[in-house]
Amino acid sequence: MSRRNYLIRRVIQAIFSLWVIATILFFLFRLGLPDPTAALITEGLNAEQRAAVRAQFGLEDPLWRQYLLYLWNAVQGDFGLSFANRAPVASVVWERLANTMVLMIPAIVLAYVIGVPLGAWLSWKRGTGTDTGGIALGLMFRSAPPFWTGMIVILVLGVWLSAFPTSGMRTLPYDADGFLDKIFTLDFLHHLILPALVVALFYLGSPLLIMRNTMLEVYGEDFIEMARAKGLPERRILYNHAARNALLPVVTQLAVTIGLAAGGQVAVEGVFSWPGLGREIFRAVGTSDFPLAQASFLVLAAFIITLNLLVDILYTALDPRVTFQ
Amino acid sequence: MTLPPFLRAAAKPLRLMGQDRMAMIGLAVLSLVILMALFAPLLATHDPHSVNEIEEGSVLERGEARWTLRPSLGELALNDAASDAARDLIVGRDGTIWHRPEGGDWTQPERLTEVDLHGVDISPEGRGLIVGAESTILLQNGGDWAAIDAPDPGAELRGVAWYDAQTAFMTGAGEQIWRLDAETGEITQIESPVGRGFPLNSVARDHDGTLLAVGERGLVVRIDPQDDSTELVRLPSSRDFNHIYIAESGAALVVGERGTVLRRDDPDADWESGQAPDTRAMRAGWIGDDGTAIAVGRSGIVLEWNGGDWQVAPTESERHFRAILVRGDEMLALGSDNFVDRLARPSADHWFGTDHIGRDLYSQNVYGSQIALMVGFIAAGLVVLIGTNVGLIAGYFRGRTESVLMRTVDVLYGIPTEPFALILVLLFGPSLLIIILAIALLTWRTVARLIRSQVLSLRERPFVKAARVAGASHLRIMYLHIFPNVLPLVFLELAIITGAAIIAEATLSFLGLGAPQSISWGGILHDARLSGAWRTAWWWNLPPGAFIMLTVMSVFFISRSLEVIANPRLRARE
Repeated sequence: MSRRNYLIRRVIQAIFSLWVIATILFFLFRLGLPDPTAALITEGLNAEQRAAVRAQFGLEDPLWRQYLLYLWNAVQGDFGLSFANRAPVASVVWERLANTMVLMIPAIVLAYVIGVPLGAWLSWKRGTGTDTGGIALGLMFRSAPPFWTGMIVILVLGVWLSAFPTSGMRTLPYDADGFLDKIFTLDFLHHLILPALVVALFYLGSPLLIMRNTMLEVYGEDFIEMARAKGLPERRILYNHAARNALLPVVTQLAVTIGLAAGGQVAVEGVFSWPGLGREIFRAVGTSDFPLAQASFLVLAAFIITLNLLVDILYTALDPRVTFQ
Repeated sequence: MTLPPFLRAAAKPLRLMGQDRMAMIGLAVLSLVILMALFAPLLATHDPHSVNEIEEGSVLERGEARWTLRPSLGELALNDAASDAARDLIVGRDGTIWHRPEGGDWTQPERLTEVDLHGVDISPEGRGLIVGAESTILLQNGGDWAAIDAPDPGAELRGVAWYDAQTAFMTGAGEQIWRLDAETGEITQIESPVGRGFPLNSVARDHDGTLLAVGERGLVVRIDPQDDSTELVRLPSSRDFNHIYIAESGAALVVGERGTVLRRDDPDADWESGQAPDTRAMRAGWIGDDGTAIAVGRSGIVLEWNGGDWQVAPTESERHFRAILVRGDEMLALGSDNFVDRLARPSADHWFGTDHIGRDLYSQNVYGSQIALMVGFIAAGLVVLIGTNVGLIAGYFRGRTESVLMRTVDVLYGIPTEPFALILVLLFGPSLLIIILAIALLTWRTVARLIRSQVLSLRERPFVKAARVAGASHLRIMYLHIFPNVLPLVFLELAIITGAAIIAEATLSFLGLGAPQSISWGGILHDARLSGAWRTAWWWNLPPGAFIMLTVMSVFFISRSLEVIANPRLRARE
């Protein structure tokens, strides 16, 4: 199969996945929330007004028409109005996703920048006490639930030492013209440090252990023997020959982690009152704001699927051994 | 006896694990946690759901900004206090007496009685007089206390006040008014004007030489010591009165149930009913010669008079206060009968302290292990069961079967894990089953992919081809020939996913989506966060997370050694 055919098939597959997920989501919500407008009773809407809302969302139509309408709207990126704040759902979702990514990407990058060289170094020290200690440390970080680490960090650094703010993205009140204006400030950085640190610690274990293990596998390859036979210094073999070849699984893991992180860490966002997408989904489903919950979930799924697609494409570019079957 | 190859293959990883120290540590820790879950009822020191109350000789001192707790005097409630220039006396439950000379420390004289002591007063010449339940009367002669026989042995005496150096009056729960002659030890019973058995809780000497006794239903009796006559006095309230205090100057304060505070600013003024900002029972009052006044009561309520009205003073504790002791600038509120032992620091009784409603945190943590392990193991078992079979079938049959199964796995990879679990639990209600499904329904995708890729290479190996030629059925080849070879990988995934599932369960519980009525480590952290106390109560949020970390770490340690078994290339070469 040619590379082009492979790519086309892969894209079709991604679209198919998205459609299946959208369908599952639609029926999941109809099953779990037979009358989404029930939540509106608390807002003081009477039966007639609720019927009007139901009509507005097409909830009086037969199920198949609702489903088609839902798909059609989703394709156009129109997710309707949020029950809670009557704002267009799409704008809310994009803003929350950006908030999440601005926390997750620095944290994950930090985790990989520290974890990858550390993992390579541990593989070099294989079998020693350093290796064992490093592995134990990596496993420990991965075992501690990040929301708990967050609570402890807030307790020590935020409350006892008062060194860092413990909630939100900025000190309130603030005004900012748009997203970039909001994040390119020292105040934002100050707010970012604690949650990013906590997330980075949690993700540190994966690159560290994957890098170490892949390095050990690479050490068995012939070209390493060759390099040794040439009399190259051990350090040079480690970083120039072995590490480069061991990076591939780490890159895959990086993309997967970013995809999962987009909607992950709901609890961490909760602990730090970070207005991210995970917290928004939690809030939306909790208050039966089903347009917002559906849209957030769908956007997340699209994001993850796109990332997985990119990884596969990247993979074919990075590793010529990958065949297009 | 020869084991079937299936079991022999399963036993191999276990034998290899025995040589890995890290795995053995993990196994040991995990065993301890499992034992903790199994024997939770034996290990727990308290019922994890029950609210713990304690009694204590609490001392609360008025500070600059707020009333703060001082080291408590024993473990029994303190009921009344009295002081003169030379010393202070406190009496309490079960015969508790505390004594403090001026400038000295509190000491406890030898216990004279086991009955509850309710009142104490010191005569103008410095003689102490204590009254209590079962008609207990203790009079001080020099330094020694001596019991005085009462005419009616069953009376519960509540109030006591000296009239002069020789005469004292006592009141009791059966409307008793007794006069004591301290020289002869003789007691005269005085008739109350009402005579219906209403408790008279407190008595004090008024400036004009009479005594005022207060009691339930607004009962106030004036006693004239000259002729032992009594007279009913009307105060502007008919609530139960608990305590009366009259200062040298004649300023007086009466406190009672439901926030009752009545003050008389000088001997000739009328009694005024103050607007108390709290309606809890006030148990003791104090008024100074300059008009400053305090009243203390249940649930840590301390009222201070600011010249115009009563205000609730900020206090550190919610103990129930029953007495006030004032010496110079030092003001103490004393208590406390059973109060909810909330947010207590770790102690011998509560090893991990207590939470915001007084539940024992150590016991909660012990029981928390049950949910964590149950969800962890069941979810991981389910995941591995689905994932292994899908991987085996897809890898073995290939073709259309493989396409359908693996495309399903691809679709699953597009679903965000945590939000999916959230939506499932929120839509279908939190129960143990839904939580396990929320974790398991997506996670099997990883296992399926891993197993399939292994099976793909195994199915081309000679032993599989040989089996096929020998006429073995598909099922037999898949489960008896191929499956044992992927067992190390299955065990590895089982361990990793157990850890991940424990964290996932903790996360859901932390978000308040745990199974209702159950105790889990995440749930404890949820309570801590919801109560807001986690920013100070480190003993509350430290242990559950540490337990999660230890448990997950133990399975990860085990998984590390399984990883080496599943992938021999990882073994350290020298």
